[in-house]
Amino acid sequence: MSLLPAPLAPIRPAFLTRVTPVARLTAGMIWLVAAILTLDPAVPARLVVAACVALVLCSGLPLRRIPGRLAPLGLAILSLTVFSILLSGSNADRSIAAIVELGPMRITGPAVSAGLAVGLRVVVIGLTTLLVFGPSDPTRLADSLVQQWHAPDRFAYGTLAALRVAPFMAGDWATIAAARRLRGISPGGVTGRAREFGDRLMVMLVSSIRRAERLALAMDARGFDSGIRRTHFRELRVGWRDLLTVAVALAVAAAALALPR
Amino acid sequence: MTTAGPALDRQPADEGIGTSSEPSAPAGPPSVRAAGLGWTYSGRTRPAFQGLTFELEPGRVLLVLGPSGSGKSTLARALAGLVPHVLPGSWRGHLRIGEMDVAATPARVLGERVGLVFQDPDCQLVMARVDDEVAFGLENRGWPRERMQARVPESLRQVGLAGFGRRGTATLSGGEKQRLAIADILAAQPSLLVFDEPTANLDPPGMYATVEQLAALARRREHTIVLVEHRLEAALPLADDVLLLDDEGRQLAFGPAGSVGRGAVALLERSGAWVPQAWRGAEPRLDAAPQPGTAGAGSSMGRVLLDATDLQVDYPADEEGSHRALDGVSFRALAGERTAIVGPNGSGKSTLLFALAGLRRPDRGSVRVRALAAGGEPVEEMRDPSRLRAEEIARRIGMVFQDPELGFVARTARDEVLATDGATRARGRRGGADTPPPDSDGVLARFGLGHLAGESPFQLSQGEQRRLSLAGLVLRPPAVLLLDEPTFGLDRRGTEAVIRLLDELRETGQAQLLATHDPRLLPACDRVVALDRGRIVFDGEPARFLAEPPYSPPGPWRGGVVPTEAAR
Repeated sequence: MSLLPAPLAPIRPAFLTRVTPVARLTAGMIWLVAAILTLDPAVPARLVVAACVALVLCSGLPLRRIPGRLAPLGLAILSLTVFSILLSGSNADRSIAAIVELGPMRITGPAVSAGLAVGLRVVVIGLTTLLVFGPSDPTRLADSLVQQWHAPDRFAYGTLAALRVAPFMAGDWATIAAARRLRGISPGGVTGRAREFGDRLMVMLVSSIRRAERLALAMDARGFDSGIRRTHFRELRVGWRDLLTVAVALAVAAAALALPR
Repeated sequence: MTTAGPALDRQPADEGIGTSSEPSAPAGPPSVRAAGLGWTYSGRTRPAFQGLTFELEPGRVLLVLGPSGSGKSTLARALAGLVPHVLPGSWRGHLRIGEMDVAATPARVLGERVGLVFQDPDCQLVMARVDDEVAFGLENRGWPRERMQARVPESLRQVGLAGFGRRGTATLSGGEKQRLAIADILAAQPSLLVFDEPTANLDPPGMYATVEQLAALARRREHTIVLVEHRLEAALPLADDVLLLDDEGRQLAFGPAGSVGRGAVALLERSGAWVPQAWRGAEPRLDAAPQPGTAGAGSSMGRVLLDATDLQVDYPADEEGSHRALDGVSFRALAGERTAIVGPNGSGKSTLLFALAGLRRPDRGSVRVRALAAGGEPVEEMRDPSRLRAEEIARRIGMVFQDPELGFVARTARDEVLATDGATRARGRRGGADTPPPDSDGVLARFGLGHLAGESPFQLSQGEQRRLSLAGLVLRPPAVLLLDEPTFGLDRRGTEAVIRLLDELRETGQAQLLATHDPRLLPACDRVVALDRGRIVFDGEPARFLAEPPYSPPGPWRGGVVPTEAAR
């Protein structure tokens, strides 16, 4: 039985579902580079707007389920932003006027700006990841990596097989925790809990390695990486959509960087 | 229909070696010849199998029988060249497939002619989509795209999965997954097919569909087939020849299926196979279950230990909308009662166990359990297991998981037995520190694990792991024991051992609930609860369930012979 939510997959055909994965990967990387080039929060903010537009218009993903999926990331972003603002070096610089001053704590304009830049970068990473990996299943990405970027088979399809095993690991982790609870094992204290965590991890490691060994054996039995040059069931060709995607990504990144504040 | 299939009466083969029975087959099925064949995995002292000498004529079906640990699976791996080409170890003797010497032929060449289907469908499907999955083996072998595009749908059609191409492999049932695994190997047009317990992990309908698929393949005579299986009643009617192995992986017998049928019951029993009841006379398949109240802890018997009312469990919405795993299930478990929970894959069995254990809080309805005192008397009021602290829940509920490895909590078998007791003592609640430490080695000895006390639980065999997971519940037996497929992958002897141990645990007045796919376990239970799409469709005596299973078609649930011989 599955305790995990279904993977986020396109529910209708859309522009990006017909773009090859490596083209999406290239476009995504352009945005990530643009987002980390400056400390100006306006750049990642503009990219966030562009990514939201792309998600709505051409990803084919179920929009209503996206906020729920990004919720854990949201918490991380919030705390990252807050701590970046609080711990910024410019707060200590008395020559910069403070926006907020509470006893020993003072927050300056540049600190807020830098904190927002950090937080918004992570938002760009999250949304771009959805745009790159959401619109097609991992098999297409592996095919695309091997056919267009000439990645080694063993790397691409090995990773793919590992991805297939990942949902089982989440289930295993839940089972391990359940088993220990039912056996009455719940050590208190920091060291007890740390040891307990280590013990659980060990069980999962053993079981994951077993599973991976069996899968590897099954792949070997079907002639994987046996020295024959692999062919491809599904052909992926670079088309106008791929070029357009990369070109638009480049244009948006350039505009985000160049537009005056 | 009779339990002994007509295959038993087939004449021994005396055709010449190498004559192909089906000239239409692409490469012609090969013969398989072993002489003094042995294999020892590196790091082990005991051979996985040794001294195997047999000759299988082209186009025949060989059934390999043997207890757990007799090297059956290793032999299957050897036929596919994984041993000795992928797995390390030492090889003795000769194994020839047609003209190829397995030890001297590269795995790549062997892979062209041999297809191997494994036991667990979840550990052999590589791709996310059905058509990609079938194509995977062809891509590896360098087939041109046009040939693959023609061959993939053809292979799916062959196993009755036409039109499944675009489905996700994760959405298939167990039986469908195993048929997909068969399509995977058929696609590459091998001439020797090897099946390693292909039905062991399947529910009854999946088992039926898979056996019928095997029968269809056997009937076509286009392949030489080696079938490792301990469901004798299903497999023997398909077999031309039988190879029997013992515990040590030595050859007990090899010959035409007819010669090791009814006449060789003792030999078959020794091999740990499930011998059809009709051959064994009137004796029951498993020890008849003592009625509630006849076991040890008298007065508590029949009292309600677990009460579940109107359970509803929903899984979060996906593309197809939300999924209701349990729908209005009400259920009471009585002290000393053993209940089997049956139903097809996805009918809610595992969800029910998790809800009863308080591991999945129901969206509606309630679960209440109580503990037993030392004398077997129920104590304390009914409590919601999902709200109990760990030390409180261990006395009420225990669970043995489908994969016993995930349930191990200690580093040695001895500590595994002591774990719950030790955790309880450490909290100083019950059984004060002055009482002598319990006799863990005695428990291990009773469970046939005495010699393994210092071993890591992960080093044990499948059957030993299963017994150890039960041994861990002996010192502080929970009032209610939940078991998820407790005999998965076990042969008859392993299954009988589990039932004996369950009998022992029940002496304490324990209520036992076991989710199972195996109709052969039902006679050892007091009661059967059958689920279908999250609802209870039957609740009553095993005999009544077996006589009239509440499913359509009912055949697979009766636990008898798969009616395939008419097909041959």
